[in-house]
Amino acid sequence: MILAVLFANSEGNILVERFNGVPAEERLHWRSFLVKLGAENLRGVKNEELLVACHKSVYIVYTVLGDVSIYVVGKDEYDELALSEVIFVITSAVKDVCGKPPTERLFLDKYGRICLCLDEIVWKGLLENTEKDRIKRLIRLKPPTEF
Amino acid sequence: MAQPLVKKDDDRDDEEYSPFLGIEKGAVLQEARVFNDPQLDSRRCSQVITKLLYLLNQGETFTKVEATEVFFSVTKLFQSRDIGLRRMVYLIIKELSPSADEVIIVTSSLMKDMNSKTDMYRANAIRVLCRITDGTLLTQIERYLKQAIVDKNPVVASAALVSGIHLLQTNPEIVKRWSNEVQEAVQSRAALVQFHALALLHQIRQNDRLAVSKLVTSLTRGTVRSPLAQCLLIRYTSQVIRESAGNAQMGDRPFYDYLEGCLRHKAEMVIFEAARAITELHGVTTRELTPAITVLQLFLSSSKPVLRFAAVRTLNKVAMTHPMAVTNCNIDMESLISDQNRSIATLAITTLLKTGNESSVDRLMKQITNFMSDIADEFKIVVVEAIRSLCLKFPLKYRALMNFLSNILREEGGFEYKKAIVDSIVILIRDIPDAKESGLLHLCEFIEDCEFTYLSTQILHFLGIEGPKTSDPSKYIRYIYNRVHLENATVRASAVSTLAKFGALVDSLKPRVFILLRRCLFDSDDEVRDRATLYLNTLGGDGSVVETDSDVKDFLFGSLDVPLVNLETSLKNYEASEEPFDINSVPKEIKSQPLAEKKAQSKKPTGLGVTPSAPVSTVDAYEKLLSSIPEFSNFGKLFKSSAPVELTEPETEYAVNVVKHIFDSHVVFQYNCTNTIPEQLLENVIVAVDASEAEEFSEVASKPLASLPYDTPGQTFLAFERPEGVPAVGKFSNTLRFIVKEVDPTTGEAEEDGVEDEYQLEDLEVVPADYILKVPVFNFRNAWESMGPDFERIDEYGLGQRESLTEAVNTVINLLGLQPCEGTEVLASNSRSHTCLLSGVYIGNVKVLVRLSFGIDSSREVAMKLAVRSEDEAVSDAIHEIVGSG
Repeated sequence: MILAVLFANSEGNILVERFNGVPAEERLHWRSFLVKLGAENLRGVKNEELLVACHKSVYIVYTVLGDVSIYVVGKDEYDELALSEVIFVITSAVKDVCGKPPTERLFLDKYGRICLCLDEIVWKGLLENTEKDRIKRLIRLKPPTEF
Repeated sequence: MAQPLVKKDDDRDDEEYSPFLGIEKGAVLQEARVFNDPQLDSRRCSQVITKLLYLLNQGETFTKVEATEVFFSVTKLFQSRDIGLRRMVYLIIKELSPSADEVIIVTSSLMKDMNSKTDMYRANAIRVLCRITDGTLLTQIERYLKQAIVDKNPVVASAALVSGIHLLQTNPEIVKRWSNEVQEAVQSRAALVQFHALALLHQIRQNDRLAVSKLVTSLTRGTVRSPLAQCLLIRYTSQVIRESAGNAQMGDRPFYDYLEGCLRHKAEMVIFEAARAITELHGVTTRELTPAITVLQLFLSSSKPVLRFAAVRTLNKVAMTHPMAVTNCNIDMESLISDQNRSIATLAITTLLKTGNESSVDRLMKQITNFMSDIADEFKIVVVEAIRSLCLKFPLKYRALMNFLSNILREEGGFEYKKAIVDSIVILIRDIPDAKESGLLHLCEFIEDCEFTYLSTQILHFLGIEGPKTSDPSKYIRYIYNRVHLENATVRASAVSTLAKFGALVDSLKPRVFILLRRCLFDSDDEVRDRATLYLNTLGGDGSVVETDSDVKDFLFGSLDVPLVNLETSLKNYEASEEPFDINSVPKEIKSQPLAEKKAQSKKPTGLGVTPSAPVSTVDAYEKLLSSIPEFSNFGKLFKSSAPVELTEPETEYAVNVVKHIFDSHVVFQYNCTNTIPEQLLENVIVAVDASEAEEFSEVASKPLASLPYDTPGQTFLAFERPEGVPAVGKFSNTLRFIVKEVDPTTGEAEEDGVEDEYQLEDLEVVPADYILKVPVFNFRNAWESMGPDFERIDEYGLGQRESLTEAVNTVINLLGLQPCEGTEVLASNSRSHTCLLSGVYIGNVKVLVRLSFGIDSSREVAMKLAVRSEDEAVSDAIHEIVGSG
């Protein structure tokens, strides 16, 4: 299960947070934990360089893309390797929508589309789509090209 | 936390910066009224939906009324033909997750989309419907979903399959009907469809071993298109291997070649999955392990942190069971100690601590010292625990490791971290006698400047037990007495108790301890003064050098022989009156706990929490309890009390377990009963026993339980006579009989009249092992030699076909109920023969030693040679009889 996908700006403020199967009372804890993790480790990290951590039996893969830091949290079959696949899809889709690693402003300008991309990528905690080109078409309700 | 968690727009001055600046829920909800316009402005509607999404994605919640209002407005947007807007509508409906009674508004529109010619409408409508639907609606749309699973468009098929995975949790019986379609989808040429179909098919069939095995067999031979699906297949393959392990004949492991082949896959994800699967194989051999370890070793020096992490995490697990297999990677792992990613560094260190040999300990400790200063507490705890295990493995290295622990104890750190260190030191003191004195001094120095009351009191308690037994107890007094001056009342009270213990055990220190205790009489805190007064009185005398009474020692060092929980309940129920509180009225039986809790508790021993004399005190407590019952007072000395045997399933109305107490010519069953129904009071509780299958036993006495209120455990007893010295066995069927009275939950008062009732319990058996006490010997060979061969009996037995040698060994150990010695109950994996040493005392206080030699052949037939030596010929024969008839 992909437990959470979270986007924050460089100051640690939340831009998008989507939880799956995480009780409401634990979300604040996760939010602070992730943001703290980013603050401690993401400084100076190159775009899309993946960092990894585990907290109890839960894995976290996170990275930076432009002004935005992205965190993906998973457990069981979504271990660090599966999560790195998920975050790769997410970063490619975001770059595709924004045309480049986004500034915070650009990210917010494209907010609706990014939400649609996330909707195509993660379906209530399960990975659904993995190719950015297909996702790009799907969010405009166009069938995939290979079909 | 490093950063404030305010919403994005709260702390910005730059007005141009965010399109959501100043966004406010009320205003957005107002804006959502545009959805109701007769002339829809698609662009504006999309913008408003984006704002709603922004609010929801930030954790904002809508009240029921707000959500309903927005949802109803959103449904109007189905009128628009704008494709971009429709996509947003699908998303926002899912996010709003309307309640069951509202869903109906939108189902017809979605059903229409689900049958649309536009594929993408179909895919999205399926996802939305499955998200918001309930069982009844699902049966209506089931036909379409089955079609969708085999739809030519992979997006539609995936949408239906992933929906199926979710729906399986809520409506399994419906989804299970789709297995033919899902089976077809597994063969799809579209990579993702195959991935989703495989996941769903496995979930549908997970309880059908044969089906899973067939699925794995066919797919491992065929083509799997996506790495993700390949990973799933590897997992399912491991499952099949695990489940077939019991039946496998010797020789090559099925599917191993497939797993090994996956190690050469081009996707890293697949390589790792295969490597992990191999390392986790039950009873994996070095030959099987080597290729997996080799690929993992290569990943240790990968430039990608995720791969390094995955590799070291897997190796860390392997090191727990096969440390030698990992030693080749030690050099690569040593370079990871300086890895920027602290998770990787910690895993590397803890792996090295498991694989290192005695000679590398010092070098490793040097490296760790530098490393400790820049990691977080949670990582430090892991390292401390690894060091503790290392020290137990190499006791000769205790000095270096103990010094390391005491150094880090002085540094900054939170409670959990400090507790982990203290626990480790305590365990080392207990297990390595040489480490005792230096360890105690480290703890003394720590409490001189310890900010955690809990730790100070625990250490003081521990010092009170261990300190007086050292060569020079006087050197600890200063540290203890300093606490009386410098600490809070809780710690001061503990220090007073510890001083008293030194006074009681070390006669030469008694006069000085008295002086110190007298000073405590002027303390500002009641508890401290009370304790000082109590101890001065109980230690007695005028503080001269005299030996302390054993009663006083019992009082100071013995445990309170009632469970604290029961004492607490009784004290709460006690109403102040003329009659003083009587500690004898506190029930002594511990309430039986739910299984999960028991498991959690028995997980691993922690340092200070362990009471080393726990088993002894249980026996003592039983002995006291039984001797206080007049009916049983002439039964003689208690030989053995069994562990409680549960007679009810967990979480039933009444929880009953039984302890079998064995005397020379009597057996007493102690039934521990708990009433878990708050609305009931049970009276005259007794267990009626049918002993027709236990011919040698005759019932001689019983002691009913007068009253069993809710949640307060109580006991009823039954005594049987049996021929003296004979280890009679038999089966007893039990029925709980009682009078039940209704209790008014508001007042807690029971009704006058009750009804007789009974409750069937499980059967209970008295087995030969009940007549044997587990008593270890520390040097088996010496004991065996000194017992001599006079009453030795040797015989050979065929144990038939067995699952494994381990299983056979454990069965015999349990059958005999003797104590395994020198760790011989543990078998090396894959071993073909084994010798197990057992010792104990047979009823009548006859010492018994047993040497078991096992061998297993290729068809898993196990043969056993049993050699028994004892002080009595009859007992040696009896042991053979147990095995012969078992």
